Amino acid sequence: MTADATSVRRWPVRPRPRPRELALLAVVAPTLLLGFATLRTQQLAAAGTDRLTLGDPIVPALYLGLLFAAHAILTLAGRQTDQVLLPAVGLLGGLGLLLMERLPPSLVVQRFGPLELGLGSLQLLWLGLALAIIAAFGVLVRSDTWLRLYKYSWAAAGIALLLAVFVLGHEVNGARLTLCLGPVCGQPSELLKVILVVFLAGYLSENRALLASRRSRLGPLGLPPLQHLLPMLATWAIALAIVIVQRDLGAALLFFAIFLALLYVATARWSDVALGLILFVAGSAALYLLLPHVRTRIDIWLDPWAQAQGAGYQTVRALYAFGRGGILGTGLGAGLPQVGDVPAIPAVHTDFAFTALAEETGYLGSLAILATYAVLVERGLRIAARSADDFRALLAAGLTLVIGIQAVIIVGGNARLIPLTGITAPFLSYGGSSLLANAVAVGLLLALSDRGVALPPPPRRPAAERLVAGLRAAGDRVERAIT
Amino acid sequence: MTLWLLRLAFLAGLFFFLFAVARILLRDLHAAAREPGAELGRLVVVESPGEDAPAAGSVFPLDAVSTMGRGVNNTIVLDDAFASADHAALSYRGREWFLEDLGSTNGTYLNSQRIGGPVRVGFGDEVTVGRVRLRLERARR
Repeated sequence: MTADATSVRRWPVRPRPRPRELALLAVVAPTLLLGFATLRTQQLAAAGTDRLTLGDPIVPALYLGLLFAAHAILTLAGRQTDQVLLPAVGLLGGLGLLLMERLPPSLVVQRFGPLELGLGSLQLLWLGLALAIIAAFGVLVRSDTWLRLYKYSWAAAGIALLLAVFVLGHEVNGARLTLCLGPVCGQPSELLKVILVVFLAGYLSENRALLASRRSRLGPLGLPPLQHLLPMLATWAIALAIVIVQRDLGAALLFFAIFLALLYVATARWSDVALGLILFVAGSAALYLLLPHVRTRIDIWLDPWAQAQGAGYQTVRALYAFGRGGILGTGLGAGLPQVGDVPAIPAVHTDFAFTALAEETGYLGSLAILATYAVLVERGLRIAARSADDFRALLAAGLTLVIGIQAVIIVGGNARLIPLTGITAPFLSYGGSSLLANAVAVGLLLALSDRGVALPPPPRRPAAERLVAGLRAAGDRVERAIT
Repeated sequence: MTLWLLRLAFLAGLFFFLFAVARILLRDLHAAAREPGAELGRLVVVESPGEDAPAAGSVFPLDAVSTMGRGVNNTIVLDDAFASADHAALSYRGREWFLEDLGSTNGTYLNSQRIGGPVRVGFGDEVTVGRVRLRLERARR
């Protein structure tokens, strides 16, 4: 580490070009413009005019402007951070924006004073904020001490958020997730997943040696020492509570999956994962027997056609949409996500964003989306593998897994591979909270990818110990002076 | 027709992006593989006759091919009277280590057994060259 990195930064910093990022953005921009052109031309063709048009270029122009502005900010900051994350997120966000522009704007309407914004404009607003967060984290976060040292405070804040939602939350679609502060409503569980990763990374990096040791046994499984088993049970209990009280199956599944994955990353022990899976199966079975809404989800998953006009409607519609897409897709704007002004698939802009894009861009398009998620995960795990110490490695791996597991859960749910749980497709779906939380994750990854980030100073020793060490050093000096 | 072309161009753009990313990822992987200081394994001296031979506890990081013996041109110089000038070689092939005797006078031993041809060595196995006993260990990262 050079002295420059540890000393206080002085402005102006020297800009450092990011050629790879620029090259990738130079591919993303025309691709998205082509997408918008397809969409507008299709809409005109539907109206009877056969004309090539970009329509109203303001939305794509604004979005691409924001993307290149983020690139410019990162360039000016002059840090050696990852150059693939921003273009990959930019592409996914752009595809999401395409979909929101294509759906009827009346799906979500929010009023800010005299300004009334529809679905597409709102998504653009949130994407702008998300890019701002990514750029800000990529430029400003130069130390992880504030995450590392206050892990229990973060955990407490997370639980407080959760409790606030339990008590004050509003119920939307049968799930109690939304917390409103004045005019702005948000879903704190979205941010909670990032906080959970911060806490787990801190906890596991400090206790990984203890967690990996084996003292008790349960049949063929070696158990970690009991006091270290408690966090696993606590996480399990929290996940169950989320399902029961908030009825948020997706978040519960995500939390538990992240916990197990990070535990494996920290200890490299399959027996812990096996134990977690046993707990998972036991919990799922209990919930299936006890809670009707869990039972409905599983029944729909097993046979959506049994109640195709009732509870299974959404899933059946989604499967038809996948089928209509075929290999090349129906073309942007030509699919059937909506009939008239009513979306054919309920919640197409949030839970079924991937389905809608799969219908309109086909097998090839959905393959590209999945590959882009895979690219995000590869970059994140690479950042984790290269990081200087355990905390950073676990943090980077956890943040990556948050994005990856969300994608797996929702894409699997859309395609009826696993039971559908309401969760957003990262950067594709509509939703402010989800976009901002995922942006925080990517922003932190970006900051962690800078190898110049200084490690925090070693923990301070207790005062008495420091006194003894000081006295000993003084004694040594005296001795040397005498001899 | 134009619409058809636009749609294809859009899909082509998506895949061109992935192609560009894949090239960057591959280049990074190659760069990481070339990064210096990536040792493949290490030899730790367990027992030594002392004198000029390396003391017990010394550690030798291993390359893909490391030679051992009394001669100064070996990767690992074992200056022991019972070792030959070019005594034995350790090499990493595929995902495994192999030990080979280079025609030494007193022979090379793997876990106290004299070896004939090249033999497979696992992490934790002990190699004896002359009077020096060494253990193969996993690389520290």
